[in-house]
Amino acid sequence: MDDIDAMFSDMLQEMDLLTQSLGAEAESAPLPKPPSIPAPQEMNFSIGFTDLNASLHEMEDNDLDALMADLVADISATEEKFATDRDTSKGSAPFAPIPIQPQSNFGLPVSTDTSKPATSSNSIAAPPPPPASKPSKEEQEEQIKADKIKLALEKLKEAKVKKLVVKVEIMDGSSKTLMVDERQTVREVMDQLFEKTHCDCNVDWCVCETNPDLQTERGFEDHENLVEPLSTWTRDTENKVVFLEKKDKYEVFRNPQLFYMWKKDKKSLMDMKEKDKEQLLEENFCGASIIVPDLEGILYMKEDGKKSWKQRYFLLRASGLYYSPKGKTKASRDLVCLVQFDNVNVYYCKEYRNKYKAPTDHCFILKHPQIQKESQYIKYLCCDDELTMTLWVTGIRIAKYGKQLYENYKAAVRKAAGTGSWANRTIQASSSASTPSPTPKAKAANGHAPQLPKDTKGPGNQTSFPPPPPSMETLPPPPPDPMLPPPPPAPPASTTKVNKFSPPTRFPQSSFPPPPMDDLPPPPPPPEDAELPPDFLPPPPPSFPPYGGDSLPPPPPDPITSLPPPPPPGPQNFASAGGAPPPPPPPPPPPPAPAPAAKPSASSVRKMPPAPPKRTTPLQTAPPGGELMSELMTAMLKKRSQQ
Amino acid sequence: MASWDLSVSVEELGSEAPPLKVSVTSDLHIGGVILKVVEKSQIKRDWSDHALWWEQKQQWLLKPSWTLDKCGIHADARLFLTPQHKPLRLLMPNAISVRLRVCFSSPVFRTVMGICKLLNIRHPEELSLLWPVEGKKKKKDKDVETEVYDITCSPLPSSTILKLANGMPAFYAESPETEAVYKMLAVSQPPPAPETIAKMYQTTNVMEKAQINSRWLDSSRSLLQQGVKENDKLQLRFKYYSFHDITPQTDVVRLTQLYEQARWAILLEEIECTEEEMMVFAALQYHIGKVSLTEQFVASSPAMDDLDSALQCLEVKMEGESSADDMLETMTAPELHDYLKIFRPKRLTLKGYKQYWFTFKDTTISYYKSKEESSKEPIQQMNLKGCEVAPDVSVAGQKFCIRLLIPGPEGMNEVYLRCEHEQQYSRWMAACRLASKGKTLADSSFSSEVQSIQSFLAMQKTTPSNNTAQTDESINTHSLVSPRYQKKYKPKQLTPRILEAYQNVAQISLTDAIQKFLQIWQALPDFGLSYIVVRFKGCRKDEVLGIANNRLIRIDLSVGDVVKTWRYNTMRQWNVNWDIKQVAIEFDGNVNIAFSCVTADCKIVHEYIGGYIFMSTRGREQSDTLNEELFHKLTGGHEAL
Repeated sequence: MDDIDAMFSDMLQEMDLLTQSLGAEAESAPLPKPPSIPAPQEMNFSIGFTDLNASLHEMEDNDLDALMADLVADISATEEKFATDRDTSKGSAPFAPIPIQPQSNFGLPVSTDTSKPATSSNSIAAPPPPPASKPSKEEQEEQIKADKIKLALEKLKEAKVKKLVVKVEIMDGSSKTLMVDERQTVREVMDQLFEKTHCDCNVDWCVCETNPDLQTERGFEDHENLVEPLSTWTRDTENKVVFLEKKDKYEVFRNPQLFYMWKKDKKSLMDMKEKDKEQLLEENFCGASIIVPDLEGILYMKEDGKKSWKQRYFLLRASGLYYSPKGKTKASRDLVCLVQFDNVNVYYCKEYRNKYKAPTDHCFILKHPQIQKESQYIKYLCCDDELTMTLWVTGIRIAKYGKQLYENYKAAVRKAAGTGSWANRTIQASSSASTPSPTPKAKAANGHAPQLPKDTKGPGNQTSFPPPPPSMETLPPPPPDPMLPPPPPAPPASTTKVNKFSPPTRFPQSSFPPPPMDDLPPPPPPPEDAELPPDFLPPPPPSFPPYGGDSLPPPPPDPITSLPPPPPPGPQNFASAGGAPPPPPPPPPPPPAPAPAAKPSASSVRKMPPAPPKRTTPLQTAPPGGELMSELMTAMLKKRSQQ
Repeated sequence: MASWDLSVSVEELGSEAPPLKVSVTSDLHIGGVILKVVEKSQIKRDWSDHALWWEQKQQWLLKPSWTLDKCGIHADARLFLTPQHKPLRLLMPNAISVRLRVCFSSPVFRTVMGICKLLNIRHPEELSLLWPVEGKKKKKDKDVETEVYDITCSPLPSSTILKLANGMPAFYAESPETEAVYKMLAVSQPPPAPETIAKMYQTTNVMEKAQINSRWLDSSRSLLQQGVKENDKLQLRFKYYSFHDITPQTDVVRLTQLYEQARWAILLEEIECTEEEMMVFAALQYHIGKVSLTEQFVASSPAMDDLDSALQCLEVKMEGESSADDMLETMTAPELHDYLKIFRPKRLTLKGYKQYWFTFKDTTISYYKSKEESSKEPIQQMNLKGCEVAPDVSVAGQKFCIRLLIPGPEGMNEVYLRCEHEQQYSRWMAACRLASKGKTLADSSFSSEVQSIQSFLAMQKTTPSNNTAQTDESINTHSLVSPRYQKKYKPKQLTPRILEAYQNVAQISLTDAIQKFLQIWQALPDFGLSYIVVRFKGCRKDEVLGIANNRLIRIDLSVGDVVKTWRYNTMRQWNVNWDIKQVAIEFDGNVNIAFSCVTADCKIVHEYIGGYIFMSTRGREQSDTLNEELFHKLTGGHEAL
């Protein structure tokens, strides 16, 4: 056990040396590091650029600053934690004093943009607090050893986290660059983008991937991780990540009847009551198993490896996409399974009439996410019109993701409502400051309109707030409808022998929750103030508060420690302000950089091309643990030789 | 007041004995009559369960304070003094008979409540009783039920709340026999022999399915009123496909019986599914059968719950403590090394399998020319994350191949790995499967995965001839699918297909497996439809009405297509004209439909509709109190009002 102990202290030392040297390098050099600092073994590569260098060139200044802030905050957070860690375990440890300066990073004039908190390091579990009672010596030693092991592992784990620099295109032609951690979901990335773009946060916003080779587009689902699909892209890819509004993303939850009662007359469907819609959702998404829309009909399918498109009668089931072969009935037993959804995703296609001679341009394909080029393993399907295509693509998404999709929607609505009401607040505040304007109007303008625009086209910037989710709703009792037919007569005398049965509410003595059927008009929308009372007004956006920004407490300084003193208050507070919860939108404009050193000059960015990958069949992205160790070794050797 | 003789037969005196004559007056109440009869019979016993049955009027005289006059009884009435609770043979959803004592005097709805209480099934409103199929099979099979579970000795269900002992209601714990009964109820049955499935009554079309629904008993009348006699055989079934608030801890019997009903519905094709779905059902049945042999049914006593949670806590703690070690292990991850053969099918290649030195590490397979060169660059590396893994195995032919479809930017790469023997195959196969899900060899499920592959391979070895005694290891795959697929595929062909589906479910627990089975069942398009043949007003031909928990559908018999759907939430009222046996329903927007019922009594249709509406009134909150009154109001006929 002793040599494990020794090994770990060794390793820790080496790693600290390494990080420290990196920090020092960053400090001394007038240039910012490329975004591979936290992971020396080259885990990062960028998406949306041909190489890393180009990506850095294309970055806007403040983007780069933000990135730097991210990175340094990452490092410093980790370092800080280790420092406190070590303090707690210091006691009688035979721990070789390590000549490191974890605080060195705080000296960096990093924070030109304070609105960017470190997100990636937040999820690391904090080390356990030291035991309160005085433990025996053995216990202490055990504890120390365990702590050390944990420390080392955490460092390794942190180093192993894959990060990508992603360039996201926005519909107005601009783009934003951000760093995405492999643990982040699309929802979290979108929250970042909301902050960066100051757009309204309505539920239709969507992060999409486009593939120019296949001419496809797919909106990522909110619960997916972004890094994983992106890292399967090829190196020379022209694929892009686009941030835009897509009406069909959650249309099924706003107008479930269009999908679940698609056979009925469209006109009568559009003015369905909110209550009935809710019930449809309840029936199909809240039961023991979700119910997939019972889509069926003729679609065109591209024959394997051929140019021709053949008509087939397709049926959607929860277990997959089926068609009925020629001359057979559409009874379940005769159906042929085209594809099951476990391993494939569904993609919208563009202009397949030209590309593949499709009968119409309303095509979608089903493929494994890793397939990036034309292949016999892709299933090509073509619909008569756009509505049919939306039906099928949405139906397949429901079959594939099930309840998760509904959860995503509810989360998105909560998000939209939250920011929406905050925006209302700001409007109110500003308007009341100047002129006492009628606030209700402002509210109405800001959404919560009870009726949705029926237009499903055009991702305009017009906000259309979805109805509040059923869970949040506390509806007032619906007013009695004057049009209501008189209640059925009392049970007639048995001589007529005709009995009337009506739903239980019609029984006057019934004390039951209203049954699902009701022909009352939708209740008026709840008053907006009642819905989300913002009981917390966030502080004004921080503009370099001298000492006030410490919503994150500084690490507890340990007086006994032999380590260098805690960081000077000035920069430290600054850094913690950076780590504070993100201020609400709009974020303040970045203050002028205090030192020119922080300003990245694109021309002098050090070139760090990605290591040439071994050509393996599947693109291997994450080096396994063993490689990490060897990489560490080489890095250390290099460092030593430099010294 | 003049006294007259009333003749009352007493069951305890035997059916041959002449009825007792008691002298009564018209203002004597029923309780007094019983007292007189008992005195006259001179039998000493507990008479508390006895009541008078008026045979001519087919009704029970259950109100002791009513006078004979009020009941309308005169000297010509022939009354029977008989126990209200009598034994009945009940065919459970799992196709096993239980003999138990049920109430013959209360409405069937309440009788079912009693039965369910005895059997420990919550939400009895979802179940009901029906006559079993009297079919052709009756001639051949003289004694189908060799073993009948008997719990007639149990206390009457009216007694107080069931206490739990060892996770089951207390009286089951009294003797080994009753314990066996509970085990039968709470643990799913082993797969039936293929012959048994073939022998069962199978419906082939909607018309026949509609016949099943004509056999439901009327919920608002008593068993005796409906001609059920002592020791008759009735089926207990889930009638309303709207299963409220299922909690695996407290619903052991309910879940198991629901699963059994679903399983038989699949096997007998009462509900249709596709071939792919059938394979998933088969895999789940196999898994459930296997796991329920080892995993005891969950004890649900609070003490056990505490113990469970305590154990879980402990587990978490241990995990927390050992996580560092675990992570250490993943750093020095286990690997597989072997000489295997590889084959990549490509167009225009006739090359066969070639042997290389293979290593499996994390989720990646690398191969080298030989073991000696394994320190050098591999010839190729394949990351299996997200790939498809399929077996290509023939135990008889000693062929153990793994078919891999590895996704790449250009498409899927097809690779075959050939192993030498079973042992090697099961290890590599398990590794491939885990890797396809992004798990490494270090994952805790590796060894169980290896085992499940081996046990499944064992299925191929056994010959399907000995299907009389189905032991745990040798399950005939034919007993997992419906006769259609028994005919279509040989067991040899079926096994790999089920195995393919099995790999996705092999690691889940018993409860999860049962719930997954039910989920897939409930997601089938035809799930929850009860068919009745009807004739719509103004139509000349028979059509089928499908009744589901949220809608009514009209099916054209000639095409088999759904012609129209009406949802309950647009329904305003429904009326039943008992004279002309017609049901009329009014929907929003002045939509009126009317039909007469052909295959079933209109009371059955009425009860279905009212029943489903009753089911939808059950709140989300978990209250076990059942509003019986409302149920009868919604489902009762003219007698009820």
